[in-house]
Amino acid sequence: MYENKRLGFLFVLPFVLGVLGFKLFPFVMSFALAFTQYDIIDPPEWVGLQNYRELFGHDPLFVKSLGVTLLFAALAVPLRVGFALFIAHVLNFKLRGINFFRAAFYLPSILGGSIAVAVLWRFVFAKYGLVNLVLAKLGFEPIAWLADEHYSLWTIVLLFTWQFGSAMVIFLAALQNVPVSLYEAAECDGASKLQQFWRITVPLITPVIFFNMVMQMVQAFQEFNGPYAITEGGPLNSTYVLALYIYDQSFRFFNLGYGAALSWVLFALVAGLSALSFWSSKYWVFYSGEKDQQR
Amino acid sequence: MAQLSLNQIEKVYPNGFKAVHGVDLEVRDGEFMVFVGPSGCAKSTLLRMIAGLESISGGEMRIGNRVVNGLAPKQRGIAMVFQNYALYPHMTVYDNLAFGLRLAGTKKAEVDQRVRQAAQLLEMEHLLERHPRQLSGGQAQRVAVGRAIVKKPEVFLFDEPLSNLDAKLRASMRVRLTDLHRTLREAGQPATVVYVTHDQVEAMTMGERICVLKEGVIQQVDTPTALYRQPANAFVASFIGSPEMNIHAAQLQAQGGGIAVLLGGVALPLPEAKAQRLGRRDGEIRFGLRPEHISAAPRNAGDSFAVPGTLRTLEHMGNEVFVHFDIGTVPMTARVPSDELHGLQDLPRGAAHAFHLQMDCCHLFDADSGVNLLL
Amino acid sequence: MNARSFPLPRYLALFTVAVLMLYPLLWLVGASFKGNAEIFSEVGFWPSRFDFGAYAKGWKTSSEYTFATYFLNSFAIVVPRIVVTVISCVLVAYAFARFEFFGKKLLFGVMVATMMLPLIVLRLPQYLMFKQLGWLDTYLPIILPSAFATDTFFVFMLVQFLRGIPRDMEEAAMIDGCNALQLLWHIIVPLLKPAIISVVVFQFIWTMNDFMGPLIYLASVEKYPVSLALKMSIGATEEVEWANVIAISVVALVPSVLVFFAAQRHFIEGAASSGIKG
Repeated sequence: MYENKRLGFLFVLPFVLGVLGFKLFPFVMSFALAFTQYDIIDPPEWVGLQNYRELFGHDPLFVKSLGVTLLFAALAVPLRVGFALFIAHVLNFKLRGINFFRAAFYLPSILGGSIAVAVLWRFVFAKYGLVNLVLAKLGFEPIAWLADEHYSLWTIVLLFTWQFGSAMVIFLAALQNVPVSLYEAAECDGASKLQQFWRITVPLITPVIFFNMVMQMVQAFQEFNGPYAITEGGPLNSTYVLALYIYDQSFRFFNLGYGAALSWVLFALVAGLSALSFWSSKYWVFYSGEKDQQR
Repeated sequence: MAQLSLNQIEKVYPNGFKAVHGVDLEVRDGEFMVFVGPSGCAKSTLLRMIAGLESISGGEMRIGNRVVNGLAPKQRGIAMVFQNYALYPHMTVYDNLAFGLRLAGTKKAEVDQRVRQAAQLLEMEHLLERHPRQLSGGQAQRVAVGRAIVKKPEVFLFDEPLSNLDAKLRASMRVRLTDLHRTLREAGQPATVVYVTHDQVEAMTMGERICVLKEGVIQQVDTPTALYRQPANAFVASFIGSPEMNIHAAQLQAQGGGIAVLLGGVALPLPEAKAQRLGRRDGEIRFGLRPEHISAAPRNAGDSFAVPGTLRTLEHMGNEVFVHFDIGTVPMTARVPSDELHGLQDLPRGAAHAFHLQMDCCHLFDADSGVNLLL
Repeated sequence: MNARSFPLPRYLALFTVAVLMLYPLLWLVGASFKGNAEIFSEVGFWPSRFDFGAYAKGWKTSSEYTFATYFLNSFAIVVPRIVVTVISCVLVAYAFARFEFFGKKLLFGVMVATMMLPLIVLRLPQYLMFKQLGWLDTYLPIILPSAFATDTFFVFMLVQFLRGIPRDMEEAAMIDGCNALQLLWHIIVPLLKPAIISVVVFQFIWTMNDFMGPLIYLASVEKYPVSLALKMSIGATEEVEWANVIAISVVALVPSVLVFFAAQRHFIEGAASSGIKG
């Protein structure tokens, strides 16, 4: 029955329709829109490359936004993935209460995307908020997290890092898949715990590191809730990530053509970085995969 | 190349379970010692304690003349071959072999020389650039052995290395390993080996001495021949030898001027020498006789006694036949060469036939403790 | 790795990080019972007295609707969405994991690629599409795409799970004369239960948290789900009644936390395995 190609196609039909209608079609439409000037009220007007020219040549806000987004990703992704790996490694042994810890670390990643937590975060980093209270207790000067353009991005970065649980759980499963006998052999070969981590553990989980890195990177570039609700893009656009800029242009100022062009720049950026990652993975990702017999 | 001594070695787990009870053992320099026993007998645990992968709860362990109780594996001068080979999948065979040496800071030239020497010994020079996933089971096992050789350890430890291979490959690897041991000895680098297996055929064919374990207690340490001919107790007697020795509960009774063993309703006269050794004349006992000491026709060898038996089945092995029959209600197995069947194969199931037991090869074990009463 | 001694440093490290991670949440809950003044001065999370006033006021909100309305709205979105998600994703995953059909490899590649596609590129065109269809200010734009298995993460997770299940039982059922739908219902779905629970839990939480979707499509306040209502309560005025906002944030998180703990064991393992085999 499973060789019945028509039946199989029938089952997968909803997906085909969904992809065509909700992904492919909008994708193409978005591409076309970028070459127009459209404000919802009047019909779209073809302007060729004007949007892109303006974007790359005459839009300081774009440059600022791009910079913020790149900075955010460069800080937040390594922090999140690094933490996830570190905690997963520490968690990886026969430990009573492992379920408690696993849940404790995972919970923030579930709740973190909500507005409720964004509200909380805004609060925690406020002038008289929790973080400053703790700093004061420790003898430090309070920092105007939300008002100072040098620190505001950190609030968003920390929120993103706080949600490392989902990546951690994936790392934990990968770590538990590494056979214990490999560590024992390494121990007999004279490797210290640190050497075991770098020479055995890490190389063997490179596929998972790669997967997590790419997925987190894609997520980081799309980050919206945090900047929107906590800092509203400010102060002085220091947290004005591209996702916010696109939203503003598309849904607040109804500059749809420009918004589409911006979103395509973002897409190209993400696609480019993903492609780069895939290409580089040849050099550092090791797939143990299935045995290919060669007698 | 050193001797290994275990002195009252014990292992108690955190939950209180005592896995190893007061083990005393001396493994001589360059000896091939096999640990054998059923699952749960703690042979692997003991091996891992020698390696340093499990802690020692009590007693003293020495390698060479050093006490190694608290030392890490690296400091004990051991090399281990794991059951599932434990090759590093992301490194080439060469790197797998070189890993330990490089960690120790060995010079590149010496690393290369030792790796190639080991590869040559194991006939795997052509595999050096491959990755473990490209190797067959036998090749992977050889790499695991090579990794041990390269380290030039004082003691080699093998943890059931052949159990993941198919039967034919197992047979050829057995020979390869024993050849290797001999080659190393002749080259002036005798290797002290502790080899763990649950397969008594492996134990018998490979071991210079065998240590039989049961539930963490040593039953007997001896050469294969001695284990076979003079088992210390009923457990060793039944564990070693295939098909198993016939061991059954029986009674001693006085008969004529001597002693007879009452088995399945038949009184088997005990040879004079054994009767004297035994010292007593009655009570419960366990009687043991190996299948090859039972024949279908009278033997010229002394003390052969005929018993009436009921035939059950025959298993033809080619050059010999396993004959399963009953004495009364007691099941027995005899091992008869194919050309000495004397028409047994034509008899129907249930037919009566006389079997001849070679009584001077029989064993008597204590009914409770299983200790061999005739040693 | 056997720990030869009690691994104190590990426990310490883990415990410290756990406290750091969870403290903000604990603090949030504690703060919901405190007065405004206390919130801004105390580091400790335990309130000096339990004041439920913030909950009452927060619930009522400054708009014409109470949070009862907003919660009902959220559920009106979440429940249908979960139902259609499970149905469509199971069907599609079943196809990918078991059947052969035209363009299977291509479609699977497309599925993996869309998992990495930044959604934001599609927001605008989708908005225009739905506008054309006249679906603005309804819940349809949020619910309907999920009926077509466009939440590819779930399809992927279910496919990986199914791949790990041997076909023996299905083959036995085929010999007994089952057709595909019967097979799906009687054999596959029971086997997929842990993964389906994962899908339900994730979709519940993600939809409850969904902000940008409702933000774009919903205009009438009476239709707002909890996520929008919450933002509204801090965006509107200069002076924010923090106590009320915090109280209602806690309430907003409660359903997700409950669902999480109820199905915890199942869905963490589901999320993990999809990452491994990827």
